[in-house]
Amino acid sequence: MKDISLPHLNYAALAPMLILFGVACVGVLVDAFAPRKARYPIQLVVALVGLIAAFVAVVLRAGKVTAENAITAAGAVSVDKPALFLQGTLIVLGAVALLLIGERALERGGPFVAQAAITVGSDADQRQAARESGATEVFPLTIFSLSGMLLFVAANDLLTMFVALEVFSLPLYLLCALARRRRLISQEAALKYFLLGAYASAFFLFGLALLYGFAGGITFAKINESAQNGTGNITLLYAGLALVSIGLLFKAAAVPFHVWTPDVYQGAPTPVTSLMAACTKVAAFGGLLRVLYAGFDRVHWDYSPIIAAIAVLTMLVGSILAVTQTDIKRLLAYSSIANAGYLLVGVLGNSALGLSSVMFYLVAYGFTVIAAFAVITLVRDADGEATHLSRWAGLGRRSPFYATVFTVILLSFAGIPLTSGFTSKFAVFSAAGGGDQSWLVIVGVVSSMILAFPYLRVVVMMWLSEPGEQTPSVSLPGMLTSAALVIGVVITIFVGVAPQPLLHLTSEAANFIR
Amino acid sequence: MTSALHLVAAAAAAGEVTTGEKAVFFILAPIALIGAIGMVAARNAVHSALWLVLTMLSLGVFYIVQAGPFIGMVQIIVYTGAIMMLFLFVLMLVGRDASDAVIETLRGQQAWAIVLGVGFAGLLGTGLARVVGSLKVVGLEQANADGNVQGIAALLFTKYVWVFEISSALLITAAVGAMILAHVDRSLRDGTAVMSQPERMRARFEPGSYPGPKPGPGVFATSTSIATPAKLPDGTPAQRSISPILPTRELTAAEVANKQTEGR
Repeated sequence: MKDISLPHLNYAALAPMLILFGVACVGVLVDAFAPRKARYPIQLVVALVGLIAAFVAVVLRAGKVTAENAITAAGAVSVDKPALFLQGTLIVLGAVALLLIGERALERGGPFVAQAAITVGSDADQRQAARESGATEVFPLTIFSLSGMLLFVAANDLLTMFVALEVFSLPLYLLCALARRRRLISQEAALKYFLLGAYASAFFLFGLALLYGFAGGITFAKINESAQNGTGNITLLYAGLALVSIGLLFKAAAVPFHVWTPDVYQGAPTPVTSLMAACTKVAAFGGLLRVLYAGFDRVHWDYSPIIAAIAVLTMLVGSILAVTQTDIKRLLAYSSIANAGYLLVGVLGNSALGLSSVMFYLVAYGFTVIAAFAVITLVRDADGEATHLSRWAGLGRRSPFYATVFTVILLSFAGIPLTSGFTSKFAVFSAAGGGDQSWLVIVGVVSSMILAFPYLRVVVMMWLSEPGEQTPSVSLPGMLTSAALVIGVVITIFVGVAPQPLLHLTSEAANFIR
Repeated sequence: MTSALHLVAAAAAAGEVTTGEKAVFFILAPIALIGAIGMVAARNAVHSALWLVLTMLSLGVFYIVQAGPFIGMVQIIVYTGAIMMLFLFVLMLVGRDASDAVIETLRGQQAWAIVLGVGFAGLLGTGLARVVGSLKVVGLEQANADGNVQGIAALLFTKYVWVFEISSALLITAAVGAMILAHVDRSLRDGTAVMSQPERMRARFEPGSYPGPKPGPGVFATSTSIATPAKLPDGTPAQRSISPILPTRELTAAEVANKQTEGR
């Protein structure tokens, strides 16, 4: 019998993930042992300190990573430059979303329910809605989810990727169910997300098995090698790639795997929606890029037409349905679907330029969308957030400052120059143009023109309508929400005005190591 | 047992299918399928679970026949033995009469689901059948060289050690999640935080609470229904006199009117 020895684990490369896993476990222990009153401040500080430490670890590692030392843990993890860039992005976006999650100044007890198990509408529920402070388990759950995402973008084989997919999805399903207000649609959203997510995971797993049959291994290097040599059965390759892509495109919210998005975005507590819109997108596209670029580079002529068709569908369906929405959270959900389409266009650039432009887009979109949801948490009345669009009419007269901020965000979504939306769309479209996908660029421009309509309609409603009885007031944000809002808006404008530093960073990072 | 396994392994490695394996497959495959269909079709949750047990047992036997004794036993012991039985316990505890309402909220959704599902299964099934027929099976002997369990252990603690450790995060999340979604703190459930005696005293006589016995329905009342609130001496209805679960009843004019018993 042969000896079993632990493979070499490069702890410097794995440090960001280890830190976050550790912090999440500490969070669980805090919840178990700290007195109820002390939990919230401890959890918030522990989570933020952990994220900062993980970010420092990523930055330290980024200076030392080379093609030779990127792969570790017996080939299961590849902490290369794109992985580090995406990990850094995830940590910063996650920290900003965590600020929204931790906000307790807007509403007594914060945006989360105290005891999710209490029957909705019962006496106990009314008591807890009035006075109990929200569950603090949301902090370790968020950190668990983020650590799963860090692993997801660095996975070097499909099995690691699958486990990471589950690690980051499971806490998100839970977080969706914990809204303080309108608990029934929150629970419905969580159940929908969970069932459809489990279904998508099953597709991913099935595809994984077929790819193992194709290549005799599940590392991207092995799959790439088999595809290059022409060994293995090509039907298995196509079927496997198709099924794995379904799992990934589900998380990325691409049409026709998008049906969960509006319901879940609307039902989930708004801070969690912001986490999903920003971080899940980054993770899903990080994973998709790695699968397509590192694993299936050799067959990109075969999959390109299909991904292109999905991209066109995603852009058009997302933008056209966004026009018909009457709820601001659903509007942003459909906009997020359309943005997944633009990202897919960038993915089809199929070059270092495609990779760097998608990463650029992810950063730009992530910060803008968090800022957008931060504003949504502020517009509220006695029943919580007022998300119906008609309620936003005349908001510009009532609180010009926040209406201005939201206008800037919407203009960025619409892709107006001098905002990050313009530079990032320009980047993905030029990458696709470079990859001979000009027709995709035309569809992309047309769909972003359609998508500009609902954004501008909201702007017009905010500024040109008279505020009525129904117009809610804008709450004064607490320190945490203010910080998230400022970070989001400043980066939106900064990346729009001076995209060079970020472009430089992404093009530096654009090389996968298998 | 071991020698039989070796024989099976050798046959499988050579790509042959022995008669015994064929017999086992053709007996158990329909049973597994029937179990799966029964699980989806059964109206009663307990029946569903039992159908699933049948499918899982058949799968366990398949694994063993295909020279994977470890995964086969795990399937039977862990899935069928532990998880499904826990599932049944929970069903029994929660109450098995809660059958779900089958209302189609999307028109034609079931028909479409069946058409698309069968189509997808057909597409994948025929594709795979064509492929697998010509596929050469290699590497089973090397994989099982040191024994099946040892082979799995070696993979688990070398190549996939990181994933193995990470999956603990999944378990912690699951435990925390189950607690969040199922556990209710006692203080909230009963509506009374744990209080000391002086605190309780003070709360009892606080403005807004009513230390005396509640008026029963019918005291000063104009009707014998328990849904009719008692009347306070000033003539207003006493809401505290009726149970909170009863819907407030609209009183007719005759019921509201005084019954002329005040003595003129």
